[in-house]
Amino acid sequence: MKIDTVFIDKNIPQNFEIEYLISKLHKEPHKIENSKTVYDFINHSPDPILTAKKTLYITRNKGAVIKECPGTSYYTCCDYTILHTGTFCTMDCSYCILQAYFHPPVLQYFAGLETLGSVLKKTFTKNKIFRIGTGEYTDSLIWEKVSLQPKFLVETFAKQNNCLLELKTKTINIDSLLPLDHNGKTVIAWSLNTLDIIRSEEKGTASLTARLEAARRAESKGYKLAFHFDPLVIYPECDIQYKKVIQQIFEYVCPENIVWISIGTFRFMPKLKQVIEKRFKHSTICYGEFILGLDNKMRYFKPLRIKLYKQIISCIKNYAPDLLIYFCMEDEDVWEKCMGFFPKKEGELGNMLDKSAAAHCRLNAALL
Amino acid sequence: MSDFFCEIDISDIDLTDERYKISFVEDDITFLAQSIQQTGLVTPPVVRPLNNKFVIIAGFNKIKALIHNNEKNAIVLKTDSKSTDCHCLIKSIAAIAFQRELTHAELISSTRRLHQFLNKDNIAKTSSAVFNQELSVRFVEDLLSIGALPKPALELIHQGNLSFKSAKRLTTLKKETIKNFLTLFSTIKTSSNKQLEIIQYSMEIAAREGIKPENFLNSQAIGDILLDENNDPGLKTKMLRTWLFELRFPSLFKMHKKVQRKITSIKLGNKINFQPPQNFESQNYSISFTAKSYSEFADNVQSLNKALKNKGLKEIFNS
Repeated sequence: MKIDTVFIDKNIPQNFEIEYLISKLHKEPHKIENSKTVYDFINHSPDPILTAKKTLYITRNKGAVIKECPGTSYYTCCDYTILHTGTFCTMDCSYCILQAYFHPPVLQYFAGLETLGSVLKKTFTKNKIFRIGTGEYTDSLIWEKVSLQPKFLVETFAKQNNCLLELKTKTINIDSLLPLDHNGKTVIAWSLNTLDIIRSEEKGTASLTARLEAARRAESKGYKLAFHFDPLVIYPECDIQYKKVIQQIFEYVCPENIVWISIGTFRFMPKLKQVIEKRFKHSTICYGEFILGLDNKMRYFKPLRIKLYKQIISCIKNYAPDLLIYFCMEDEDVWEKCMGFFPKKEGELGNMLDKSAAAHCRLNAALL
Repeated sequence: MSDFFCEIDISDIDLTDERYKISFVEDDITFLAQSIQQTGLVTPPVVRPLNNKFVIIAGFNKIKALIHNNEKNAIVLKTDSKSTDCHCLIKSIAAIAFQRELTHAELISSTRRLHQFLNKDNIAKTSSAVFNQELSVRFVEDLLSIGALPKPALELIHQGNLSFKSAKRLTTLKKETIKNFLTLFSTIKTSSNKQLEIIQYSMEIAAREGIKPENFLNSQAIGDILLDENNDPGLKTKMLRTWLFELRFPSLFKMHKKVQRKITSIKLGNKINFQPPQNFESQNYSISFTAKSYSEFADNVQSLNKALKNKGLKEIFNS
């Protein structure tokens, strides 16, 4: 999605980071006193979500820079840590929860590399392994072509050994990262889906082969990789299509360089349905067999989830028996039936992932 | 000049002209006729002189009652000859709205007619004086879009076969689809939530199967349910909802049936309530019974003990 309008807080200093960003955007930013101008601009447009995707707001992060993933009740969370570098996304996936999560959604770029640096410095001195990602409230690499932030993060993480940086994306924006000395501490992760779903539901994202080709390039430069099958969408013969995607992964990259693969079927806050119906008239993604989950999100009827998970896990295991596969937000029943075990103890799933992170990214194993 | 009371010949009233009739309610006028006979007219009808005749603006039932009483003349409030169509329509709406709350059908119909003279903002602005209630511009928009639904939407709303919310939902659909839903709702009678569920499931099934909603609604299966003259509207609704649920949630439906069959096979008796987890998302089955006496309590416990030996019970938990 092309950026049409750029707003910037008046009090943001015009340092190298900002000058670089603005010079690459080729748009003169509107300097504003407060965020209300942006909110009004977006809210008063006919399609606020679409407008928000084309309106960049350069501001400071006024909240927590680092925070624990909120997870959800009743389902097992992986104890992830979120580095808050921005919000929303320029791509237009029908199922994206960010459309309904922010009111209104605003495409924010949080300026201030020095702030990021100082917050991270504190985390780097803690006696604990952290898996830190920037792809929770935005795509990690949408600004890679215009911003110094991804490069800064990769280089900052390279200098420590208790934190892993996961850059999660549906883009192929990795060019500026390839020549960097990442010291193995950055994992570049791609969200993957079937050709059908990418074509019908992931508007503006890179194609499957482009993503896998980018993964191969990243791997060739020593980056560790991760893949996320999230959301898995259930539709006729989806199992065959997902298996084809899995086969392709291993045609492009070596299993040894994959830190983990997560899987999670499509789930959504009930209010997202209206957004999808309004914005993506041809999408039928909400019309699967969804029931209200225990966390008040809509989820596929459990036997359907289990059936697809089993097939996907078995397929991945055929190619890579030792690869760590985990569920994002599933319950004991699903874990037991699909994986044969359940990380019951608090932090157990997180610990499994930390171990894989430590092994693949040469983190301080003594902290496990 | 202004409105004034006068006596007119009832035969001078054009009874066929109902342009100002707002009320959908066809009241029995027998009591009103008796009342007029005993106490006279408390408030006179309002009429408008037009083309050497009179058109009723308010008091349709009163005129009917007078005719029923074989009265030849009537005291009426005659509007100023310069009164516009808009003024007369407002009078007709206000005459009812300040007596009782307008029904949804009346509100829709009145707003639609008023929209010939006033835009939606002005309708909202004058609503408290006309409708005896404040209507927001957004609500006026809803009323207008529902008012634009094809026949017999308004009739169905009046009869209670189509709720305001369901009608509003229908306004977002294509014309052909609307027509099919109106036909459907004229053969069943159910609550607003169930109407919305029927609309939602039908639309979602059609979208998922890639067929036009009107084709889905015209399918043989729906026809068989709706056209079966042996079934009353309540039973038709139940059958339709079950069928739609089965299509919309086939796996969940099958699972429900399977577990229900197994629960029945355990023969816990009708005093013990054994419930599977809602939507089978959690793993917690619930079991409950009530007992008025120790022996009833013991009977229930015995039934449960017996159930422990039934392999169906194990199968439920191990499935």
